[in-house]
Amino acid sequence: MLNFEEELKKFQPSLEVEDLEQAVYQEDLTDMTDILREVVEQTK
Amino acid sequence: MDYTTKLSYQSMHWYNDGLKKAKIRDLSGAVTSLKKSLQYNRDNIAARNLLGLVYYGRGDVMEALVEWILSKNFQSHDNIANYYIQKLREKEGELEAINQAVKRYNQSLEYCRQNGEDLAIIQLKKAVTAHPSFVKAHQLLALIYMHTEQYAYARQSIRTAHKLDTTNEFTLRCLHELNQIRRSRNVKIKEGEKKDKHTITYNLGNEMIIQPVSNTLKDNAGLHTILNITLGLAVGVAVMWFLILPAITSSRQEKANIQTVEFSDQIATQTAQISALKKELDGYRSTSEETENVQATAASTQESYEIVMVMKAHYLANDMSDAAMLEELLKVNPDSLGTEGRKSFDEITETLYPRLCSSLYTTSKQNVEVANYDTAIVNLEQVMKMDEGYDDGGAMLLLAQAYENSGDQDQANLKYQKLIESYPDTDAAKNAKEALDAQNGGAEEEEEE
Repeated sequence: MLNFEEELKKFQPSLEVEDLEQAVYQEDLTDMTDILREVVEQTK
Repeated sequence: MDYTTKLSYQSMHWYNDGLKKAKIRDLSGAVTSLKKSLQYNRDNIAARNLLGLVYYGRGDVMEALVEWILSKNFQSHDNIANYYIQKLREKEGELEAINQAVKRYNQSLEYCRQNGEDLAIIQLKKAVTAHPSFVKAHQLLALIYMHTEQYAYARQSIRTAHKLDTTNEFTLRCLHELNQIRRSRNVKIKEGEKKDKHTITYNLGNEMIIQPVSNTLKDNAGLHTILNITLGLAVGVAVMWFLILPAITSSRQEKANIQTVEFSDQIATQTAQISALKKELDGYRSTSEETENVQATAASTQESYEIVMVMKAHYLANDMSDAAMLEELLKVNPDSLGTEGRKSFDEITETLYPRLCSSLYTTSKQNVEVANYDTAIVNLEQVMKMDEGYDDGGAMLLLAQAYENSGDQDQANLKYQKLIESYPDTDAAKNAKEALDAQNGGAEEEEEE
């Protein structure tokens, strides 16, 4: 049986037009290349 | 191989995976794959654009816009993201409606957290109406319906969500849950039916006895049979009465009407025949009467001829008394005689009749004087046959007087009347009129008295 309260917590508010700009800026664009570079720099 | 190339390949691999899933509308799977693709290479424009498109496909339009804007920032030219953004801008009203739907969704989330499921349902209904591909709204609606045990509506909403995103984990769990609920309900119904059959279980000492409940229907099978038969009969009678009998009656009436019409025709025909036969009969009758008349005329003519011939012989021979001759000659019908016969008749009567008239008139006068009216009447009738206007109507006047004196007033009056009409300018007619006036005057006096 589904737990309503638990399932409800999984639902997150959806983006509105007003939040669009902020969302673009907050987007995490880190990729594997960035991580590898960081690793390489740390090993040096 | 350079590690950047390897990462690029890996990114492309996940992009391909996402594309495959997107094609079969496994949008959740596609999102996962495309996100992985971008984690390997954030510059994978195709993957980012596709991720935006997948978001758009499941109703997350703002998320889609974020991806496309980022994509545009990475590559401003020859990027399909420009086209997508432009399309959305073109339909500002639609974007506004979607934004409103998103706000309603967010509002309904708040309502749910405050135990306001009813209000949440209202908001979500409006949201999915304005933005039908909004998967999250459908899912939340289904969840609330399930929570409020409105399983039919929940199934409807979750099916819509399932059509939009076939492998969403929440959607699949909801469907599974709804199926479970349905099964358990069916089992309950079956159990309920079984319970309805009722078996009585009881313990007798150490033994458990299971006994079926006595079925009143079976027990009363005979009664039910009789009832059914009675009902069947009643229905049959009703059908006979309301359906068949009217039809039979109407057919009978139709037959009777047809027969009546036939009989009427026959009667009319027979009446016409009778009428025709009557006319024919009348024709025959008139013909026979004419024939009889002709025969009578012929017989009279023959007799008249015979009498005239015989009387002429006696007249010439002078061997017969005047009275006897008169008797015979009065039988003659002068009009039926031919030229020769009439000539002979006139020859006899020219001399005989005036002589006899004179003789009989004189005798009659004497008879009247002595009140021998009967003889006078006989003689005068003979005079009338010979010469009606004898003595300027004097003979007829005398005859009328004889009738009057003998008590036959009707005959007397007839003669008076005839005298007035036939010989109006004679003394006899004047006397006749006086006689009639005297009668009328007497009658009036009697009436006055």
